[in-house]
Amino acid sequence: MILMYLTYTWGNHFNYCIRRGVGFLLMEILSSLARLRASFLTLERSLSSSRRLISRSMASESVTRYDFLVIGGGSGGLASARRAAELGATAAVIESHKLGGTCVNVGCVPKKVMWNTSTHAEYIHDHEDYGFEGAKAHFSWQLIKRKRDAYVSRLNQIYLSNLDKAKIESIHGYARFTDDPEPTVEVNGKKYTGTHILISTGGHPSTVSEDDVPGASLGITSDGFFELESCPKRSVIVGAGYIAVEMAGILSTLGSKTSIIIRQGGVLRNFDALISSNCTKELQNHGIDLRKNTQVKSVQKTDMGLTVTLVTKDPEVKDAQEKLDTIHEVDCLLWAIGREPKTAGLNLSQIGVKLDERGHIVVDEFQNTTRPGIYAVGDVCGKALLTPVAIAAGRKLAHRLFEGKADSKIDYNNIPTVVFSHPPIGTVGLTEDEAIKTWGKDNVKVYTTSFTPMYYAITTRKSKCIMKLVCAGKDEKVVGLHMQGFGCDEMLQGFAVAVNMGATKADFDRTIAIHPTSSEELVTLR
Amino acid sequence: MAAFSRGRQRIKAFRTIIFTRPFTARKFDYDLVVIGGGSGGLACSKEAAQLGHRVAVLDYVEPSLKGTKWGLGGTCVNVGCIPKKLMHQAALLGTAVKDARKYGWQIPESLSHDWPTMADAVQNHVRSINWGHRVQLQDKKVKYLNMNGSLVDKHTIRAVNAKGKEMTLTTKNIVLATGGRPKYPTHVPGAMEFGITSDDVFWLRESPKKTLVVGASYVALECAGFLTGLGLDTTVMVRSIALRGFDQQMAGLVTDYMEAYGTKFSWRCAPKSVEKLPSGLLQVTWMDLKTKEEHKDSFNSVLWAVGRAPETKTLNLEKVGVEINKETGKIIVAADEATSVPNIFAIGDISEGRPELTPTAIKAGKLLARRLVGHSDELMNYENVATTVFTPLEYSCVGLSEEEAEKRHGKDQIEVYHAFYKPLEFTVAERDATQCYIKVICLREGEQRVLGLHFTGPNAGEVTQGFSLGFQCGLTYGHLRNTVGIHPTCAEELTKLNITKRSSLDATVTGC
Repeated sequence: MILMYLTYTWGNHFNYCIRRGVGFLLMEILSSLARLRASFLTLERSLSSSRRLISRSMASESVTRYDFLVIGGGSGGLASARRAAELGATAAVIESHKLGGTCVNVGCVPKKVMWNTSTHAEYIHDHEDYGFEGAKAHFSWQLIKRKRDAYVSRLNQIYLSNLDKAKIESIHGYARFTDDPEPTVEVNGKKYTGTHILISTGGHPSTVSEDDVPGASLGITSDGFFELESCPKRSVIVGAGYIAVEMAGILSTLGSKTSIIIRQGGVLRNFDALISSNCTKELQNHGIDLRKNTQVKSVQKTDMGLTVTLVTKDPEVKDAQEKLDTIHEVDCLLWAIGREPKTAGLNLSQIGVKLDERGHIVVDEFQNTTRPGIYAVGDVCGKALLTPVAIAAGRKLAHRLFEGKADSKIDYNNIPTVVFSHPPIGTVGLTEDEAIKTWGKDNVKVYTTSFTPMYYAITTRKSKCIMKLVCAGKDEKVVGLHMQGFGCDEMLQGFAVAVNMGATKADFDRTIAIHPTSSEELVTLR
Repeated sequence: MAAFSRGRQRIKAFRTIIFTRPFTARKFDYDLVVIGGGSGGLACSKEAAQLGHRVAVLDYVEPSLKGTKWGLGGTCVNVGCIPKKLMHQAALLGTAVKDARKYGWQIPESLSHDWPTMADAVQNHVRSINWGHRVQLQDKKVKYLNMNGSLVDKHTIRAVNAKGKEMTLTTKNIVLATGGRPKYPTHVPGAMEFGITSDDVFWLRESPKKTLVVGASYVALECAGFLTGLGLDTTVMVRSIALRGFDQQMAGLVTDYMEAYGTKFSWRCAPKSVEKLPSGLLQVTWMDLKTKEEHKDSFNSVLWAVGRAPETKTLNLEKVGVEINKETGKIIVAADEATSVPNIFAIGDISEGRPELTPTAIKAGKLLARRLVGHSDELMNYENVATTVFTPLEYSCVGLSEEEAEKRHGKDQIEVYHAFYKPLEFTVAERDATQCYIKVICLREGEQRVLGLHFTGPNAGEVTQGFSLGFQCGLTYGHLRNTVGIHPTCAEELTKLNITKRSSLDATVTGC
């Protein structure tokens, strides 16, 4: 390891010299050094591969050893393993299900395919306004399900072949830490260990127990949504988070009569207040039956589908009576009430990896768990549950462990997020409330706008775009950007780069608009 | 007409008021008169009026050769950006139908497009903007005159309306913002008689049907793109190269996509003549410049998009001493938009060396107004202007082309990061993503400052605006790589770039 680190820094130093134009002689030295470095690396690699073959006699079992053992083949684990392998480490990935994890199998990817499908429904509405005649459409859920599944399988296959190409072992099965003195996992009766072990097992949707809500198990979660073989006629989505919002939007747009059941007054309550209230309104504009201050009391199965009993109580009204209501003939009850880390069965308590009260693995800013040599990235840590965050964290960790970059870690500030609602939401940085808390009310200035995107100029269906810039301090540094509207999904990324760079309102102002777009409104806010 | 006479009454009223003021308070009728009510002129006049100046704006649309005319707002609103993007949008919806079928929507194959429905909707929207501009001028107390203005001396303007009525205005400052109009190839017989330009295409009552678009500027490609998308048989005739001035690799991707999309291209060809056949069709004769052979074909419409010329003929510039570039006909301006006559300024498409873009004209107009009023001394920065070409596959860029970066910094001093990516929306739709490409040109040294950023793909304009802001703030390759991606979007590919051209490695993006 030290050897690798040294060779790396040497190489870097000489690269630097060359860039400074020190000359031919140095180039000569460098190339010979590089050759030397390469041979060091080969040595290191061959050492590790030979290590893999070393079997230690331990209760008459053999243990396969890697430089990097990754538990969980989702976005974070795969990215980390591949980067480690690129840096010369021997690596293995243990996955019990399909490669790709939540994102590829039951998250971002199939979700966005369905969102794209539903945006076509919206376009079809607008066709006539744009001069297309005869755009009467009938929708086949089976067709898109088949194509979506095929696409996901193709991605699974790509991930597998990427592992093969990178010479990363892929181990199929469930991992469980043993009680060996050195951290060791067992998969299908075989033992594996690693100089460094990464836990990236992700999470799964939370469910409701039958004790709390009788009949709760008659419902599905977002995992089950992707198994639906036909478009539900009557859907009830429970939850106010982004998954609930996305699912409700997709189902409703594809023609399912949809209700969304939320415990309080609005959805997306941890987003900026403007987004939360606007999105709540948009759901209703969209024809979704939104039940505020409401919870599911019970679920019954009947011949005509599920009967969902709801209880509503307005917290604003003192001594308000609980009101009961029922929704009949429900063929899709979807719980979208949160996600939980997947740590069951890993036997983590055995090895001294600490969990928080919600079961997330406790890690420091460098992804170290409480047990040296064991790390965790992604949803299992419970912070910023996003694919690119897990990927970035996994890669940074690989650079730290296998390239000696001691300060390689990810910055959790200013992570941009898009919610694929109708219309989509884009947000980065602090909400207005958070900014006021951090900077004080007098030091925060907010710019907002609301307009109808040009796409809707000639359509009967209209939808507004709202935008908000949260600026802080004398120089009006942009610390938060929030928007909902047609195209906001693709607009956000560049602005996130700029916010990360510390752009001020003045920087926004001196940027020339791109006309005619919606994003130009962000650089012309007054 | 009714509006005009009301306007005239208001002029009288206004004059009465100012004549009653003491002479010292007003040497001129106005502090500022703007000739040209396009994006730049309107922005400038509104800003100056808002800051307390007495402002008049003259706008007069000389009908096109085909007789097309339009209202207040200039090229962008009437015969440019706005109708162009709406028709582009209509064409995208045509593509969306094909995609929708792959997404499980069963749509009858007999779907057809009705030009008059679209044109009506687009034209109504444009008229609503014309009206909006009128209202805004009124709200901001800018005097609007639907008259053609020309210079008498450096403080006096002669205004003439469509009926030949004249009036004279005196003013402290003058801003010329009359913009430009499409050119006709005067050497091609029949071109002017039978052809149309972008001044006409958005105002056609009936479909142009089979169309020949001559030229390969962004105007030509955008028009050809939406015509193809609406299902029309469309051919683009290109004399030399497409999208001159833009990165040529990107230009190639844009035209490759169009060819696959169904637009026909006649490369290295030049039109010789246009004749009208007894059937009413237009017969175009052209020369293939490679083989020197002559070809003929007939079209329903011929659209000339061979460049634009500044609208300076009627301004009487020479008399007052406003210098123009003899070659381009554009007005020579200093950094503060001043012409060779110190109290006369020019902004927008009419001024030499400025990008012909609405947002630059607007911004230059506003800043100029603030300076004229004495509110600020900030100059317009014409650097780092992002722009988008709304072709079937949109293309957006900011900063230098690869050619220009090589020329300025040397091939060895730049690092080009690139990626061929596949938008998720293309996968299920089984669309070919060969031309979806990102290229970021950086300095090789040090922090790898970004010199140019290029993107082809869906929503290119929306994707690029934020990056152009970053560019304005000194974007480096590290800034891109250190920003967390937004998954799954096309824009996130810009934060994932890692293959250099120099490496010759495959730049195709795989997986998430």
